[in-house]
Order: sequence, then structure tokens, then C-alpha cells
Amino acid sequence: MSHVILNNDEIKIEIEKIFSQVFPSFEGDFAWDKHQKDYEGWDSFAQLQLITVAEEFFEIEINLDDAIKIKSAQDLFDCVKSAT
Amino acid sequence: MIITDYLQSFAQKTPNKIAVIDKENITYEKLFQKVSDFSSSIPDIPQRSVISLMFDNSIEFLISYLGTVSAGHIAHLISPNISKINLESQLESSKPKIVLTNKKFMRKFERLDLMENNLIEYSEIVKKKNSTVKMKPKMNDYAYLLFTSGTTSKPKGVGITHSQSEFTTNNIIKVLGYNSSDMNVVPLPFFHSFGLGCVHTSIFSGASLVIQKNTSEITSVLDVIEDKKATTFAAVPSTLTTILKNLREKAGKTFSNLRLIMTNSTSIPISTVKEYKKILKNGHLATYYGLTEASRSTFMIFKDDIKKETSVGVPAPNVQIKIVKKNNEGKQGNILIKGKNVIDNYWDNVEADKNIVMGWLETGDLGTIDSDGYLYLVGRNDDIINVAGNKVNPYEIEKIVKELSEIEDAVVVGKKHDTFGNVIKLIVKKTKGSQIKKSEIITYCIKNMERYKVPIDIEFIDEFPKTEYGKIKRFMLQE
Repeated sequence: MSHVILNNDEIKIEIEKIFSQVFPSFEGDFAWDKHQKDYEGWDSFAQLQLITVAEEFFEIEINLDDAIKIKSAQDLFDCVKSAT
Repeated sequence: MIITDYLQSFAQKTPNKIAVIDKENITYEKLFQKVSDFSSSIPDIPQRSVISLMFDNSIEFLISYLGTVSAGHIAHLISPNISKINLESQLESSKPKIVLTNKKFMRKFERLDLMENNLIEYSEIVKKKNSTVKMKPKMNDYAYLLFTSGTTSKPKGVGITHSQSEFTTNNIIKVLGYNSSDMNVVPLPFFHSFGLGCVHTSIFSGASLVIQKNTSEITSVLDVIEDKKATTFAAVPSTLTTILKNLREKAGKTFSNLRLIMTNSTSIPISTVKEYKKILKNGHLATYYGLTEASRSTFMIFKDDIKKETSVGVPAPNVQIKIVKKNNEGKQGNILIKGKNVIDNYWDNVEADKNIVMGWLETGDLGTIDSDGYLYLVGRNDDIINVAGNKVNPYEIEKIVKELSEIEDAVVVGKKHDTFGNVIKLIVKKTKGSQIKKSEIITYCIKNMERYKVPIDIEFIDEFPKTEYGKIKRFMLQE
């Protein structure tokens, strides 16, 4: 998806897709404010995978400090938004 | 009996039987005559000297190899694709009295520091009529010397005696039913243990061997199988998978009359095994597990009633295998092998000799044995990756990833990581024209393996670095 500028709605659609990829068992149970602790399996490895897939898709780099703060889909959206 | 005794015996019993099909058909009688002539033309050198041979698959290879061992010398087999560094290292270790090759490979030796008289071209030696009498070798004399492929470490020299060679070959014949009516198509390198074993099997059983240079023109190999009405075919797993992916329909027709397809121990995708079970209407796919230093230690024939597609089989007759676990945890452990197929020691390598204790060879491979005695390979001891305290076997991940149809080959290595110590890096060669994305591979992995095994870094690569035997040099991919 290189060099295509996405608006907020498009970014949100893609982030929702990324969440369904990284948490396949939670498909259809997505919410923007749902917290890390409410996801079964959102451990430090899932965190890394979430960031890896987002970096790969949006062609961005998320720094470690920002990466640690991501605790919900909304946090990832904010992070992607500030990096693009 | 040494291999040329078998050759002589068939030359007497079935002189007109075709032994080898190369550019021409060569009968057992003619092959034995050519081998005897070659043997007596070898210049006078001390008994049990090393003669280094560099040939591609050809009748010249067979005559040189059989002539050398029949004369009581040790045939050091060198791949024509060998790097200059490895060639120098092998020659330094093997100390050949003669280096023999054909015209096209002469230049590989010309710049090396060899004594001028040592390097002989094949056509020169066969012209000579020395007729010197050679002493027949003893069964415990070395027949040939190979160097391991060096996928995980520096190549090691492995000398195989006539006795070990006979033991292994008779096991192959016994288990897989090779016989004099077989027509064996072998496109594997003869300078490698798998290909050489196929040559031995053909001669020991008085069958016909169809020489093929390699599998680069796989369609023509399939044509040969059909044309010659072959009964057996030997190929590495990646060739078998490539055939399925590109020539499925042709393979269905060509292979339907084969009684056996022989492959070797690197893991075969389950889907490949299942497809060949369907294709081989009158035969079976078989594999084995072995190392150059412990050849053909297990055999597995994939029969319909044996639902063990991921196993490499049961120990060969009179070969023992045991699993030695560390700390008594889990089922998997180091694979140790003992039997007449196991070498007593490595070639001039005291350090490597420590892997052989009281006849037991520590293979460095990890495996499990089920309650029926079937062996399963799970990886290499030294390839295990520690991800945040979790022991990850790279082969397990590779096997899952390779089930994706758009991935031709994959290698997993560890990558240093600040938080986890190591994370998983996946290096992938895509199939031709594949558009698969990294995120699709990660998603597939998330669905099919534990979180800590999912690759964090994926690199696409055009070609993997390989040894001259075509095996991937994993150590070169480590970060």
C-alpha cells in the first residue's frame, strides 16, 4: 500500500483488519476502546506482532516508547496517525 | 564381498544384462572389463592411497570410482561445484596421491598447489596399459572418502570401509526390495552419499542404472522414466515437491508404473507424501534417515495402512537408535545411532571423534520415537532458538510455513531482541510469480502456531546460499 495517503476512516478500517489478523479468535468482537486486559492472548508477543503487522502495512516505524503505550485499538490508531 | 566382486559376479552370471545407461548402453560384462582395465592402469602408488575424483554423473565417474576401489585405493569423491576454499581444504586433509578428473574440470585444479604429476586427466589414464597387479582390498579398508556437506559446521571427512558399504547396501536391498529386474533412474549426484548409495544398490542387485546428470531439466527426467520403463526413481524431497507443483498431471501418468520412489531424510511436507501415495498406484514412496557417517539408519515406506507420514521410519536391520534426553524432560532428545553402518572415527579429526563413544554416534539431530518404534526428526540440537526462555525448533515453523503454496522454501533463524533475547526471523523464497505479502504470512503463522513462534521479521530472498550438494547453508543466514 505504498505511498497512498489514507484518511482517518481508511486507517481505521485497516487497523480493524490488523486486529482481526493478530487476534483471529476475536473476529467480530472488536471495539476501539477495548483494553489489552480484555483480550485473551494479548501478551508481549502479540504486542510485537501487532506492531510488526502495522509497520509493514502502513510502511512506518513505531518507536519503542510509543509501542509500549499501545493498549487498545484506539492507541494503535493514534500511533499510526502520528507516524504517517 | 566388495562392490567390484558383485560386479564381477553379475558379469559372469548375466554378461549381456544392461548395467548402465548413459550415452550408450553398457552391459555388466563390458562395465567389468572397463573397470578392470582402469584399475590396472592406475600408476604405481602405495596400497590404500587416496585418489581424488572429480566428475559429474557419468560413465567416467563409475569406471574411475569402481576402478579405484577395486585397486585397493580410497576414492575421495569431490563435487564439481565445490568452492576453491573447500577444495583446498579437502585436498589438504585427504592428501591424495593422484587427482583424477576430466577435461572440463581440469582448470579447477590447475591453480592449486598440486604436484604436477598428481593431476591426471581421465582420457590419459585409460590410454595407459600398465597392467600392474593390484592387491585386493580387505573389507575393513576404506573404500571411499566423502566430506559432509557443511550445512551446520565445517565439512568433516568421513571414510567408509568396504564392510560398512556392503552392510548398508544389503540393508537397502533387503528393506526396499531392489532386484535384478529394476531399472533405476538416479538424477542425484553420485559424489554424495544418497546418490552413491543408489549406484551401489543398482550394482549389488544386478539391476540397470540410468544415469541422469541432475534434476535441472525435470521434464526430461520424467520423459526418461517413461521411456526406459523405470521401476524406481530417487530424488530429494524438494524435487518431489517441485514436480507436484509444476508437473502434477505428467507425474500422475509417468509415476503410475513405478514400484518405488526413494527420497531422503530432510522433512517432506505431509501434503507431498499424501499426494505421492495417491500418484503411486503400483508402488510406494520411501524415505530414510541417515548421515554420511551412519548411512541409511532408518527406513520408512509410506504405505496406506501406516498413518505416520511425518516419521522417517524404523531402524534398519541390525542398527540401533536411541534418544538421549537432557534432564529427563519431554519426549525429544538427541538421536544416537549404533551399528555396522556407523564409522569408527572421522578422517583426521580428533575433535569430531568425540561424537562417537562406545560405537554410539551422537548425531546432533533431535528426535522422538513413538510406541511402535518409529523415529521422528524434530530438528538440530544446535539450531534451537531461545525466545524468552521458550525453546523454539526452527524446523517446526518452516514446516508449517512451507505448507503455503506460494512459498517455495523457508528458513527460520534467531534474531537478537532487547526484550525477548531472541525472536524469530523467517527467510522466504517465494514461488515464481507469487504476490504473497509479509503480513499474510504473519497472519497465517498466528493462526497456526504459538505466539512466541510467530516470525517478527520476514525477509524475501531470491536464492538461498547452498552447499555444493544443494543444501541450504543455514549458518550463513544467522544474524
